[in-house]
Amino acid sequence: MKIRILLIALLITLIVTGCSDNSSEVIVYTSVDQVFSEPVLKEFEKETGITVKAVYDTEETKSTGVLNRLIAEKDNPQCDVFWSGDPLRTVLLKNKGITTPYESPAARDIAPVFKDHGYHWTGFSARARVLIYNKDLLSQSDVPGSVFDLTEEKYRGNVAIANPLFGTTTFHIAALFTVSGDARAKQFLDDLKSNNVVIATSNGDVKKRVVQGEVACGLTDTDDAFEAIKEGANIGFVFLDQKGIGNLIMPNTVCLIKDAPHSGNGKKLMDYLLSKQTEARLAESCAQMPLHKGVEVPENIPSLDSIVPMNIDYDKTALKLEAIQNYLKEWAEDQ
Amino acid sequence: MGRGSIGYRIYTITYLSYALLIVLPIAWTLLSVFFTEGSLNDNLGFLDKKILLLLGKSALLAFLVALFSTLLGTMTGFLLNKTNVVFRGFFKVSLLIPLFISPYILSVAWKDFFFLVFGNSGFISSFFGVGLVLTTIYTPLSMIITGSALSNINKQLEESGFMITNFRRVSLKITLPLIKPALISSFVLIFIFSISEFSVPAFFGVKVFTTEIFTQFSAFYNHSMAILQSSLLILICILLLFTEGKYLAEAPFLSVGSKGTSNKTYNIKNGFSLLFLSGWLSISVALPFITLFIQSFKGGTDKIIQAVGLLKPTFANSIGLAFTGALIITFIGFVAAYGTRTKKGTSFDWLLLVVFAIPSTIFGISLIKFYNHPFLDVIYSGYAIILIGYAGKFSFIAARLIGNAMKQLPDSLGEAAQIEGISEINRLRKITIPLIIPSLFAAFIISFIFSLGELGTTIMVYPPGTEIMPIKVFTIMANAPQSLTSSMTLIVFSVTLLIIIGFYFLAKPLVKDHNSYVQN
Repeated sequence: MKIRILLIALLITLIVTGCSDNSSEVIVYTSVDQVFSEPVLKEFEKETGITVKAVYDTEETKSTGVLNRLIAEKDNPQCDVFWSGDPLRTVLLKNKGITTPYESPAARDIAPVFKDHGYHWTGFSARARVLIYNKDLLSQSDVPGSVFDLTEEKYRGNVAIANPLFGTTTFHIAALFTVSGDARAKQFLDDLKSNNVVIATSNGDVKKRVVQGEVACGLTDTDDAFEAIKEGANIGFVFLDQKGIGNLIMPNTVCLIKDAPHSGNGKKLMDYLLSKQTEARLAESCAQMPLHKGVEVPENIPSLDSIVPMNIDYDKTALKLEAIQNYLKEWAEDQ
Repeated sequence: MGRGSIGYRIYTITYLSYALLIVLPIAWTLLSVFFTEGSLNDNLGFLDKKILLLLGKSALLAFLVALFSTLLGTMTGFLLNKTNVVFRGFFKVSLLIPLFISPYILSVAWKDFFFLVFGNSGFISSFFGVGLVLTTIYTPLSMIITGSALSNINKQLEESGFMITNFRRVSLKITLPLIKPALISSFVLIFIFSISEFSVPAFFGVKVFTTEIFTQFSAFYNHSMAILQSSLLILICILLLFTEGKYLAEAPFLSVGSKGTSNKTYNIKNGFSLLFLSGWLSISVALPFITLFIQSFKGGTDKIIQAVGLLKPTFANSIGLAFTGALIITFIGFVAAYGTRTKKGTSFDWLLLVVFAIPSTIFGISLIKFYNHPFLDVIYSGYAIILIGYAGKFSFIAARLIGNAMKQLPDSLGEAAQIEGISEINRLRKITIPLIIPSLFAAFIISFIFSLGELGTTIMVYPPGTEIMPIKVFTIMANAPQSLTSSMTLIVFSVTLLIIIGFYFLAKPLVKDHNSYVQN
């Protein structure tokens, strides 16, 4: 009798904890750092009355949680919208058949280069890869102007780069392969290694090493650079290759998941994320550059118009990444 | 005990529930990788020389960590349980602190400490650094295991030794051989924890076998390869535990309860002992904590207030889940241990062991693949999936802890009650449970601490929109100022400590009852 009561209690607990009214909710998985993404999602919730249920992850940990979760959930999706900090992960999901097209009216004036041709993903608020440098260790005149300068003797042992197998560094290296060709990119990586480049565990680690003066400069993203400056670090940053191949621009991307349980609300969230309002907010909180025209941003945020961008196709870059992954693994491991 | 008895039915239901809810998802995933996604022969191709060398490196690291942790844990355990060294109570509690803190946070603190003091963190970002940090984390575990074995030695054995020889020979020839099983258990358990540890080597940029598995997951999204590589780890852990089980089947393991025999303590000079204990406390607790404090207060009180605000919504959920998880784990541990004790079979122990040996991420993926079906949404979309994760990961430790306490109960007690015609349930209620209350409490507390800090599996399966403490700390850490991260860590630590103290005071009357029960 007691066992039966226990079993019934267990069943009730499972049902109570497992079921809830889900008609006015949206489920979003995001690899954008929670400190920046959560306030935007809360604002959406406030404005629309739609409850946002989020699963957060972080680029710092290579987005393992959400990406692997989305792949593992493919046959019975739980997520409506995936908000990524870069385009490569959404392209990867598209290639695995996990996304579905949605052309958001909110993104009409965003340049086509920042959208998937079939609308499987749409870009907004961009970051850029930058070189940050410690002002105590490197004078303005010694700051390299090109990524290829980092292989020069005078920077020996003084440059940090995150593991190229993960995060935006993967994207950066794959873009270099796409733009410069395999031979030149491989030569660059080999020379970088010969010049005793420090391979950090993440972009955050690169930032930390430069701030602490362990190395003079390093490749990272604009949000890391701005965060360091906000914290009072004596660092500067530059956009690279403004007279050559251009600087890599990395928009956030958002995509609708195929067979999403709340696709209607998912579309509403996508429209919100792709709005000027969100871009203004992200410019304020983490120095991201709007892709819409006429968005009000703080004075210190550079305009995309003032940067010579690297001319890349995101789909091709994603394919290139797949082709060079084994090479990158060997490069990173054979230190 | 008959097959129709209530005890047998509870055992069977618990065993089947565990097998179905926790072991089946793993078996399902492993089998699908081995057989569905390619033939076994094809899949075995991943065993190249490079992988084996990496496995060797991980095994060497785990061996060194297990060796030094056991050595240091035994020394501290001896001083705190067998001598009259001053401030024993203080050291007993404070030396446990590294167990409460996430290994990742401790790594951050250690790296920053090296930078603050030496201006360079190169030394700590190495094989040696990983070994050092892991040793500081696992020494408390060894201290608990060997310490309890030392305090349970029958004092008559040592006193007989003292009649014919000196302290040194008694220690070497009587005391240490008597706790050999605990030493081996400590070594084996720490070896398994170390070889499966990912966050510390990954943070220091040291490539080991677990980082290779992570690369397959996160860079290549190759689940099959990651699962196959993990199966090697599982195999090693099972072989080790099998060997340990074979030779130490009847040996004490992870006991924290009192046995009823009085303990012999030695009068020693405080100088060296205090120096050793204070030295180890400085290295393993003070250095990383001072670094965390400095970083925490660098941002002023604003960051601490912000950290409280961020963590506040997670408290109720996290504590509720960890509490429920700890209750379930303690129940499973009790049933498994009771089954072994009453010779219902040892297969439950093996099921607990297999799940324990599986890396967290693989366990998480297995749970997703198995439970993410429309008809199982009731489990997958609710808290039940998190509780399943906790139960899978920590029931083995609870079962060992409770099992050892049961092994120390004389058979005659139960037999006498049986002759009197007392039913099995009443024997459990009136004899067994009252006698092992301290161990049940210890199993509950350890399960609670581990569940409250669990990250690896929970981050893979937690329901969207759920606020859970370790996940919040982890996801906020990226790009948040160091002062905020350190403040959050200190708050998590304080909350854990406060709850444990609360439990301790709540359970005090129970332990008091137990002591008077034992004495009667």
